Amino acid sequence: MTAVAVWSKRYGAFIRSAWMVDIQYRADIALWLLWGITEPAIALGIWWTVAGGGDVDGYTRVSFARYFFGVTLINQLTQAWDAWYIDHWIAEGEMNHRLLRPIAPVHEAIADNIAYKARVGTIVIIVWLLTAAVWPIVRLPVAPERWVLAAVAVVLGAGIRFFNGFAVGLLAFWTTRASDIIELQMAIGVFLSGQLAPLDLLPHWVASVASALWFPYAIAFPVSLLTGTGGWEHHIVQGFVGQLAWLIAWWLLYRFIWRNGRKEYGAVGG
Amino acid sequence: MGLYVHRPMISATQLSKHYRVKVRDSGIGGALRAIVAPRYEDVVAVDNLTFSIDRGEVVAFLGPNGAGKTTTLKMITGLLYPTSGKIEVAGVNPWTAGSAFKSRLALVFGNKQQLLWDLPVDETFRLNRAIYSIPDTIYNEQRAELIELLELEELLDRPVRNLSLGERMKCELAAALLHRPELVLLDEPTLGLDVNAQDAVRGFLNEYGTRHTATILLTSHYMADVTALAKRVIMIDRGRLIYDGSLQGLVERTVPIKRIEVTLTPNATFDSIARFGEVKRFQYPHAVIEVPRAEAPEASARILMSGVIADLSIQDPPIEEVIRQVFARDSRAGRDGGAE
Repeated sequence: MTAVAVWSKRYGAFIRSAWMVDIQYRADIALWLLWGITEPAIALGIWWTVAGGGDVDGYTRVSFARYFFGVTLINQLTQAWDAWYIDHWIAEGEMNHRLLRPIAPVHEAIADNIAYKARVGTIVIIVWLLTAAVWPIVRLPVAPERWVLAAVAVVLGAGIRFFNGFAVGLLAFWTTRASDIIELQMAIGVFLSGQLAPLDLLPHWVASVASALWFPYAIAFPVSLLTGTGGWEHHIVQGFVGQLAWLIAWWLLYRFIWRNGRKEYGAVGG
Repeated sequence: MGLYVHRPMISATQLSKHYRVKVRDSGIGGALRAIVAPRYEDVVAVDNLTFSIDRGEVVAFLGPNGAGKTTTLKMITGLLYPTSGKIEVAGVNPWTAGSAFKSRLALVFGNKQQLLWDLPVDETFRLNRAIYSIPDTIYNEQRAELIELLELEELLDRPVRNLSLGERMKCELAAALLHRPELVLLDEPTLGLDVNAQDAVRGFLNEYGTRHTATILLTSHYMADVTALAKRVIMIDRGRLIYDGSLQGLVERTVPIKRIEVTLTPNATFDSIARFGEVKRFQYPHAVIEVPRAEAPEASARILMSGVIADLSIQDPPIEEVIRQVFARDSRAGRDGGAE
């Protein structure tokens, strides 16, 4: 068997298992999805009211609607819950059997992310299409070349959030509650990633701080490419360079924390 | 002609593992002090352990709770990084060994599971087949063998969460052994199981070891596991090795007596059997007499000739008692600052 076939089977088996578990927990998925939609819906509601019949720095109700529909989709497609899982695996001894497998635990996590994103992404796209059928303003202008770029940006953004979450979760090798760190980071990220407002509506210095961090490269940039709003659609090269830089940075950090943390691992429990 | 070099399956040399543990006094004051001026204590879990295990051996690790048994197993598998010393498993360092090494071993915990909780048992088998890249022929053969030996046929389609503890343990073993590991480490494999399930697991492990010449290491608090599976025992207490040898040798060294269990005739009295040895129990029509091991054959002959017994059997003292005595001695030696 070739290496490609071996790895395809492994990823396929993990994804299959994840989907089978999902079928058992249908209500759980629906609730998480609702949670994912609520936040951008509230933000849209606020900006919709603020914009009224006019605009806010060039943003009309139409551009806000498209932007926040984009945020809903991109957030779901790049979301990573790994910090909580890793924290739990380490604290409860569930990392043990994963470390004894002939493949690194990161592969199970990647496969799980693919499974998660495929299902929630599909649902959000269906909801978007249904909404667009009855509410024309959320229809996107046809721009296939930008959608292709958006797809690439989504993959890179998902990679940034994945390795960010995985690396922070691995801090549980040293501290007992690494997930607290990611919760704090999430709270800051909601603001700096453009989930509450397009970054070009924020004060200049806040937008500058944000663009020096990884948050907008994971959400605001792909949203701009997809919807043509948000400000980043005019900085495509800068966006991709930032994405690659942060992806490499978080990947290196993950590798560093993994190598050093393993020696600290107490392998508690069975 | 090549020179044959004997390579054991496991070789540990002066293996040690220390944990740095935060010390915290009780109460709110203690909690605050732990933040302001944290204190740490070095806990020695494994202390200069040296042993070697050959391929195909079945060895039991014995020791009281916290003796360092599980920590040793975890260092053997590469889960834990030793503080000092050297360990080699199948000719490689488990810490740096890659995926090929991991495909050669299995570690099963009696108190933790790797089965997919929400899915039917067969789903874990399918997942492990992909993870370990088990070729179709071996997978089908091994799966069929495990289903037969562990009587799993009825369980395969049932979600793991609906299985009893014993059923789950059997499935756990099957999932862990699908890739036919040559080194199997078991941490309390019969923990919490009823007598029938314990027997089934022991019988299976014996069969698996014989069929595949697997090296098996187990820890257990059930002496029946040890006597049924292992000929060799390694005893650890407070991280130190206190015995490494045959189970029989341990019994002979620790308790140099034999226990003669007799069924008495109606005319037997306590005094009539007391002259043969120390009467440990007298409850008509049964009695137990202990005699020095070397004198057991002669004493048995004299008891038989005495005419006060109807039946007789010669036994070693129960293994639980032997173990208790070993740990009691080691504990006294530790308190006195001496070593055995």
